[in-house]
Amino acid sequence: MNRLVELEHISKAYANKSILHDVSFTIFKNQVTAILGGNGAGKSTILRIVAGLERPSSGKITYFSKGLKIGYIPERFPKHLRFTPGEYLSYVGKVSGIPDAELKKTIAHFLQRFQLDKWNRQRIMNLSKGNIQKVGIIQAILQTPELLILDEPVSGLDLHAQKELLAVIKELKEQGTSILLTYHESTVFKPIIETAYYLDKGFIAKADLTKREPIKLLEVKQIDESRVKQWDEVLYTERKADRLLLYVHVEHSDRILFRVLQLKGSIDRVITIDHTEKFNNKYI
Amino acid sequence: MKELIKYSLHDYIRSHRYFPPVSAFFILVFVYYTYTSNPVIDSYALTAVTLYVISAWICISVLALDPPVQKQLMLLHVKGSNRYYIAKFISVWLISLILAVYAFLYPVVFNLFNEPVTFTIGVISFMNHMLLATLGISVASIFSNSLMKNLINSYGGLALLIVISIAALGIYDVLPASFKNIVWVIPPAIGTQQSLTNWSGESILHLSIVPFIWVIIYSLILLYVFLRLVKRF
Repeated sequence: MNRLVELEHISKAYANKSILHDVSFTIFKNQVTAILGGNGAGKSTILRIVAGLERPSSGKITYFSKGLKIGYIPERFPKHLRFTPGEYLSYVGKVSGIPDAELKKTIAHFLQRFQLDKWNRQRIMNLSKGNIQKVGIIQAILQTPELLILDEPVSGLDLHAQKELLAVIKELKEQGTSILLTYHESTVFKPIIETAYYLDKGFIAKADLTKREPIKLLEVKQIDESRVKQWDEVLYTERKADRLLLYVHVEHSDRILFRVLQLKGSIDRVITIDHTEKFNNKYI
Repeated sequence: MKELIKYSLHDYIRSHRYFPPVSAFFILVFVYYTYTSNPVIDSYALTAVTLYVISAWICISVLALDPPVQKQLMLLHVKGSNRYYIAKFISVWLISLILAVYAFLYPVVFNLFNEPVTFTIGVISFMNHMLLATLGISVASIFSNSLMKNLINSYGGLALLIVISIAALGIYDVLPASFKNIVWVIPPAIGTQQSLTNWSGESILHLSIVPFIWVIIYSLILLYVFLRLVKRF
């Protein structure tokens, strides 16, 4: 496989707060690579570094294509733009060097495809969240990019737009585009992902999406999180308000529940999860 | 570049942020000429210094126009920060050009001078407007939100430096001899005014052009420093 971008020992810190630690991975040509992980894991920072919008604090990033054409779909496309979608996309296309005639056709095609044509008289600042996100998607694919970077791209999109985006990604891939994306809720991209990495608190590990071991999610209360983190059986913890979410393999769940009760904690609910991609390669 | 300038101007007009600085300039020029009749060189020197302040104001607001994510996207599309920022500077410069034309023509059209405006005085005075506008743009760039994230540092720092630069001659007079050279680092907003007020206006050969050249050099240095620094952010 041909390499397109390679990150070696990338670290990033903002004002002494460390975001990424020694992250290394490779994006291959014509491949779909996903970075998975929870909120605040550092996914967006990695994407911005790959896009060249941020400099890493240390480490090396190598681009194997000169003048690499990058399309970038941010997690939150700016919502206060004073242009209509058509005006904005026209400016973006022109500054990117797309010839006028081709640009007009491309804009009309994508506006129709993402059902934005009927909103084209409104300024972006007056559009709904989903429609603003669609403008964010179109600006990145106006000029077929060599690398398309998508940061949580389906956030706020309706089902039709999600399917359309998936179709566009498949088409771009057929044309040779490499895809780098992040998500943590949607499952729409799962079928097309070829390489996945799991990011947790700035550390990266390769994830195997093919393994599908059943996992139990235990929602507990009144328990000391630091004690729970010492239990090897717990794959991952998350704090949600006063609840602590514990992810454990099915065979260990009874033992963990018993320990929770021993520590005078209360159990809110227990759920079996059928996909485990974020846990089977937990960072160690 | 042309499209980037159009984008920048289009966005600025739609934002209506031009209204405070532009209307302030129109009103100030109108007020300056309320009393007639006025000396040509001194009056133009005063409107040029006013344009220096207004251009700085416009520049800092134009550079703050794009939200951070939008700025990142445009930088990605134009492939590099130099083109993006130079387009912004040209946009501000074009707005300043319109203001300079107004400042130049208003007293001529309404016959508010006590003498005719000769070709030489006209050209030098108009050039002085544009030079000080460029200086205002370059000074504002250093204090823009591209380099300073804190609004108080950004607007406060710019306002303070502009006041210092206008009061540079007074500062020079009160400084002890060993500190007088410090004035060279202050933006030379007032140097050309001093040169113009000492000029008879008869021949360009009698005009000291060093302050004008220093404004050009100073502005270019600041713009270069800005373009270098902004790549690190």
